[in-house]
Amino acid sequence: MNNKLHINKLFALSSEKRKFSFTIPLKNKIRIGKRDYTVQLRSDDKFGTYILWKNRKYPVEVVRSRQNKYEILFNDISYTFTIETPFSLQRMKVLDSVRGKSVSESVKAPMPGKLLDVLVREGSTILRGEPLVILEAMKMQNEIQSPVNGTIVKVHAKPNTNVMKDDVLVEIKTE
Amino acid sequence: MNAEKEKMKKILIANRGEIAIRIMKTARKMKILTVAIRTAAEPDAMYLSFADEVFDNTEDLSEIPVFLDIEKLISIALATGSDALHPGYGFLAENAYFAQKCLDNNLNFIGPTPDAIYKMGNKTIARRLAMQNGIPLAMGSDGNISDEEEAVAMAEKIGYPVIIKAASGGGGRGMRIVRDEVEMVKMFSVASREAEKAFKDPSVFIEKYIENPKHIEFQILGDKKGNIIHLGERECSIQRKHQKLLEEAPSVALDPSLRKKMGSMAVRIAKAVKYLSAGTVEFLLDSEKNFYFMEMNTRIQVEHPVTEIVTGIDLIEQQIRIANGEELKYRQSDIKINGWAIECRINAEDVQSGFAPDPGRIEKLSMPDYPYIRVDTGIREGSAIVASYDSMIAKLIISGKDRREAITRCKMALDKVWIKGVKTTLPFFRLLVRNQNFQDGNFTTAFIEKDLEKYYYNSEYEEMLAAWLATKLFVEENLQSDSINVDFRDGKGMSPWLLNKRINQF
Repeated sequence: MNNKLHINKLFALSSEKRKFSFTIPLKNKIRIGKRDYTVQLRSDDKFGTYILWKNRKYPVEVVRSRQNKYEILFNDISYTFTIETPFSLQRMKVLDSVRGKSVSESVKAPMPGKLLDVLVREGSTILRGEPLVILEAMKMQNEIQSPVNGTIVKVHAKPNTNVMKDDVLVEIKTE
Repeated sequence: MNAEKEKMKKILIANRGEIAIRIMKTARKMKILTVAIRTAAEPDAMYLSFADEVFDNTEDLSEIPVFLDIEKLISIALATGSDALHPGYGFLAENAYFAQKCLDNNLNFIGPTPDAIYKMGNKTIARRLAMQNGIPLAMGSDGNISDEEEAVAMAEKIGYPVIIKAASGGGGRGMRIVRDEVEMVKMFSVASREAEKAFKDPSVFIEKYIENPKHIEFQILGDKKGNIIHLGERECSIQRKHQKLLEEAPSVALDPSLRKKMGSMAVRIAKAVKYLSAGTVEFLLDSEKNFYFMEMNTRIQVEHPVTEIVTGIDLIEQQIRIANGEELKYRQSDIKINGWAIECRINAEDVQSGFAPDPGRIEKLSMPDYPYIRVDTGIREGSAIVASYDSMIAKLIISGKDRREAITRCKMALDKVWIKGVKTTLPFFRLLVRNQNFQDGNFTTAFIEKDLEKYYYNSEYEEMLAAWLATKLFVEENLQSDSINVDFRDGKGMSPWLLNKRINQF
């Protein structure tokens, strides 16, 4: 990236391809309709780190960050964003139009455990929410579900094997 | 020592977590001493600080948790001079052999008799007892059905609708719901062929099909004199894969006359095993208000607080009094249901990945403090949700004068629970209390799987705020590496918190 480049806008692109744009320098005010609302990142001993917005506190965590990818836990829900500059966003659009819209999604083990059953095969189509594998952890059988609609391109999971957290179980080409 | 005659003085709590604390609180109120067991899995657990005495079992590195080790528990009880034992729920609470072992060692087992535990634990015996006592059951064929004629005769006996199931089946395949005789003649061979194809076994059997049932259970109390009463029902239809998530008392599905009818059936089956102590009779209730006996749980249940709130009766106290040989001081006519109570089970689970357990350390925890909120928990700041035990963080129990008020308060309370460190079921409850069908009482055990498109609620701006945070972090990090030329009039460099996070990551 050219460090002489002046950037006046950044985009947070969610995993569901929703786009949020922010002017740079980043303000701690967000405009909703005709009003500006103050958003503050704070931290104290009682609450830990939180965001203050419209007089309410929301707990936040950075689950992980890698290069321009951030997984944020906000009020108990995780969101994954990639931060794009106007420049990288343009490049992404060009790349997308070249190779088509589909992207590959890796489904990872959310916790260490034992795979009891693998319910999908390579090549089969899958809908969001359908079970991919059964993972036993904490004495409970957990269905790991597909986060997207798509086609199974690779199955790494094998029944009766142990997996570590974040091991890739299945790769899905999204529609 | 005769446990029957003498009142207990010291109880060994053969359990952990919130239920251990729940029992110890009542014991303290009754001036009875308690002993808790410290385990290697959670040596600093909160429940230990509620006990009068702690038995250290951290040296025991056996694979089996001590709460499942009968011999060990008995020896701890004897070593600590306990004269009674409370099993809580789960672990050995419904183990007839354990209950017998306690009695053999002159320990007052705070629960039903080994005989009642055994009979209700055995599905065949429990069903037979229900049948002998005229309790409605979801009937089924005893064995496989060989042809249409037999199928028609059986369905006639059971009553339509029935469900044909493959004997070797599972997961919904080979199942056919049949509503009348004409359909039966058509469907029987189809189901059988399908079973053959799917499981290489054409055998099928027939069961009563209960359409969109509600899970309704009755709280029972019985004493050693043979008095048995019920304390009304609990509505437990909000469940996922047979794991209850939210319970209420009473249920919108019952009117006084149905409550009376189901309650007297619950008492009747309890009488069949001379039930004593607290127990729960579970029924399925169909849309036509027909009800069917499922099973009896011979223990105190996780969801007992909602009954305590609407009846004003401390169930643990009743268990202890009954174990002491005291006669119930309540008659059925004394039991009045007042107001409404809702319990949300806040578990360390990830609602975004199929409610998978999310063990970890609880970094921050604070619970709303209002007169109408009761929190039963065994977790405090710094506690760990460990993989060896269940994922419960707390039970948030809310009361109101009616269901509407309880739901409104619940909605408010859910926004005031503050938990950091693990993902929780809170976003699920936030969704549930806003669901119109839930608010209308219009739900069955299939609700979560069938009626909900997603399992969590976030308000309109939450994702945008998360995006703002991600952008802020990106800007702060890239200021350090100087790869973007940005003007930081608002920026104060990298926050210590973020720096910490990054140090921890590497």
